[in-house]
Amino acid sequence: MTTAIHPQNRSDRLAQSSIRTLLFVLRARAVFVLIALLVLFSALAPSFLTTNNLAILSKHVAISAILAIGMTFVVLTGGIDLSVGSLAGLGGMVAGYLLTQGIVLAGVIHYPPVVVVILITLSVCLVVGFLNGWLVAKAGVAPFIATLGTLYIARGAALLMSNGRTFPNLAGQMARGNTGFPHLGQSSMAGVPLPVWIMLSLFGLAWLIAVKTPLGRHVYAVGGNERAARLVGIEVPRVKIFTYLASSLCAALVGLIIASQLEAAHPATGESFELNAIAAVVLGGTSLMGGRGSIPGSLIGAFVIGVLSDGLVMLGVSEFWQMVIKGSVIVLAVAVDQLQSRLQARFLPYLQTQNSEGAE
Amino acid sequence: MNEVAEDVILEARAITKRYPGTLALDAVTMRVYRNQVNVLIGENGAGKSTLMRILAGVETADGGELLLEGELIRIRSPREAASLGISIVHQELSVLPNLDISENVFAGREPVRAAVLLDRPTEDARSARALTSLRKPMQVRTKTAQLSLGCRQIVEVARTLDQGARVLILDEPTSALSSIETDSLFQVIQDLKRSGVTIIYISHRLHELLHLGDWFTVLRSGRIVGHSPRIEVSRNWIVERMSGRAVSETADDRPSLVDAPILLAANEITLGTSGADEASQALLHAVTFTLRRGEILGIYGLLGAGRTELLESLAGARRLLGGSILVNGIQAHISTVSDAVKRGIVLVPEDRQRDGLIPDLSIRENIAIGSMRGIWLSRADQMAHVRRLTKELNIVARDLELPVTSLSGGNQQKVIIARCLMRNPALLLLDEPTRGVDVGAKAEIYTILRRLAAKGIGILFTSSEIEETRALADRALVLCQGRISAEFSRNEITDEALFAAASPVVNTAPIPSSGVQFA
Repeated sequence: MTTAIHPQNRSDRLAQSSIRTLLFVLRARAVFVLIALLVLFSALAPSFLTTNNLAILSKHVAISAILAIGMTFVVLTGGIDLSVGSLAGLGGMVAGYLLTQGIVLAGVIHYPPVVVVILITLSVCLVVGFLNGWLVAKAGVAPFIATLGTLYIARGAALLMSNGRTFPNLAGQMARGNTGFPHLGQSSMAGVPLPVWIMLSLFGLAWLIAVKTPLGRHVYAVGGNERAARLVGIEVPRVKIFTYLASSLCAALVGLIIASQLEAAHPATGESFELNAIAAVVLGGTSLMGGRGSIPGSLIGAFVIGVLSDGLVMLGVSEFWQMVIKGSVIVLAVAVDQLQSRLQARFLPYLQTQNSEGAE
Repeated sequence: MNEVAEDVILEARAITKRYPGTLALDAVTMRVYRNQVNVLIGENGAGKSTLMRILAGVETADGGELLLEGELIRIRSPREAASLGISIVHQELSVLPNLDISENVFAGREPVRAAVLLDRPTEDARSARALTSLRKPMQVRTKTAQLSLGCRQIVEVARTLDQGARVLILDEPTSALSSIETDSLFQVIQDLKRSGVTIIYISHRLHELLHLGDWFTVLRSGRIVGHSPRIEVSRNWIVERMSGRAVSETADDRPSLVDAPILLAANEITLGTSGADEASQALLHAVTFTLRRGEILGIYGLLGAGRTELLESLAGARRLLGGSILVNGIQAHISTVSDAVKRGIVLVPEDRQRDGLIPDLSIRENIAIGSMRGIWLSRADQMAHVRRLTKELNIVARDLELPVTSLSGGNQQKVIIARCLMRNPALLLLDEPTRGVDVGAKAEIYTILRRLAAKGIGILFTSSEIEETRALADRALVLCQGRISAEFSRNEITDEALFAAASPVVNTAPIPSSGVQFA
């Protein structure tokens, strides 16, 4: 292609590059916000950047990050999962019940080993996740309603398991052969808390699925244009069910980790966690309309929220103000997101020109 | 006999498809000849798309059978159809806008390495190869949201090619394309034909069909009414079969309207891009026209010419960027729908399912919905009005309390018209007044509109059908890329004139996004 650059072309190109920069900054906004927060808090609170504090921070972040990772898949298809907080509560209670009450089989109480406890807990939560997926994908219930329903169901079930009481002493007993549960939330590997390892490996796995597998691409496809996805032969219901399964699995892990950290299972655990997770996902640049977003974005979003709340606590900001600030950040994030999409649509012609140049 | 039978690659036998309220396909038998461009013609709602959706596995037939290479086949999903070598490019493009080109080409059938991981290099290479063979090399990592409609369509064709399509169905492929894009698509079709692909081509643009087609099948109201090779086909042959008698019946006794007072004057109406939806980039540039009381004014134009936008801006559903509207000689500021209604302007929208009907409500409620005034609903009052209108418009319903969805397309359309008449309009705007309506109801709607015009109501309708414009309009304007490109009085309206005025002139403006470059 012979190119003679006209003056107009050159200014176009200049405009193009600055638009690209602007769009890039907007897209990567969560990273910038995170860096700004880190700088701000380490300047204001000297103890903020200590190893000890960072370990605590990372444990807090792990909880919302794990939920956000699962939630990202759901949101990418254009859905939402409100049940994850309740599900985390239910997961903890199932584990607590099995560890302290055991299973009655033929009149004899069996205490399953910790590994089995964890597997049963995960399965119970996966059943609820499947229910969510089935309701959304097959029964055609709106995701908001379906998961609002399971939010109540899971919370109710958690309360029913103990009549609203807490299951204490989850450390287990040697005699029952079910010790070791506290390791899940409390032990460390190479100086890094186990929950953080869990978060990191989930992150790696989720990212791999999202970017490198057909399944991940189908998730994006369903969120981008569900009708078109169906027409090209993508099994839309199956994809949706997968996303709710992933989300519920993450919720179960969070429930287990919290119960393990506290060595107790309380039925109210996880209240409003779903909102933190959704906030992290949105902050990370995932569109609630589906089709656009990423797993790393959600991880960064979770860090933003975690750093923000821990930092504010260290600065002694009152809990009430913390809520106001957190809410403002979330609303601002979505407003910026809208701005970004509008700019993108507006400058589409510029971006298109570039494409036709590329074709030769 | 034997020879002919061998030439048939795909045969649909006695295919029947029912939708609630309509028989979309009535024992349709269609033969598709190998290595030919098999044209399927019919008006909107004739059943073309339904038949093709059945061949492509998107829908299943209620009766009949499909034969591929003489063997009975069952197609239950798009994937099954594709594996048999039957692929479709849908009328409403089905690209995934948030994915890039090669992701789109392989959506739903991704090649994998190590059992689970996507094989990007293979995808990119094969996508690039398919695009090159379509003479449209593009960067395969470009997001399809950034492509023009023509390029998106090529992406879909590339997908079918890579799937090894033997039979490629193109459903109204040119309806959204510029003429440059259309030309390059025709080239692609010729190439495909040469390389051994059988094409089924759906359109209702006669000149395209006559240019491309080898075999012609005409569908009307769910029945095959003609099937012939190119040499036996003429423009008249098609028009006769396509429209039947009902449509060509025109009213010659229309009164002269030169002296009627001017009801509506649109002065240089200009409309900006609608940023929200990438597909609708249609603009209106200084559109000026007048409409007299009792006149039926038709606006003909291709998809994307700005027809819908023009009507919507008159109805207050879009805000003007410039220009003015005069109603009865008085400047009218129409910025909301109720502004328009106050001045007696009401719109019958193009897509009655989406923008018109409220499916859960009864026929009566659907008619009365726009006219509820005051605090209390007087049912008796309402009922009297509704009854009068249903009688006047001949809405055939067993019971007015049945849900509106129980009606046929034609009757549903009459319900929308009745709703508009409840408001005693001075000007009735109709966007594609007979879309998805059978031939009988079509003629009836024309009669109704003429009767309304005779009462002094101004009628402004848009159409993408030449036949309709000719049958109904006292005067026709042609919109092309947002500008009025021609005006015809009743006896000047001909197919050729309308079509020529509606087709964009080549090379007037560069199309920034198409990326058309032949190697």
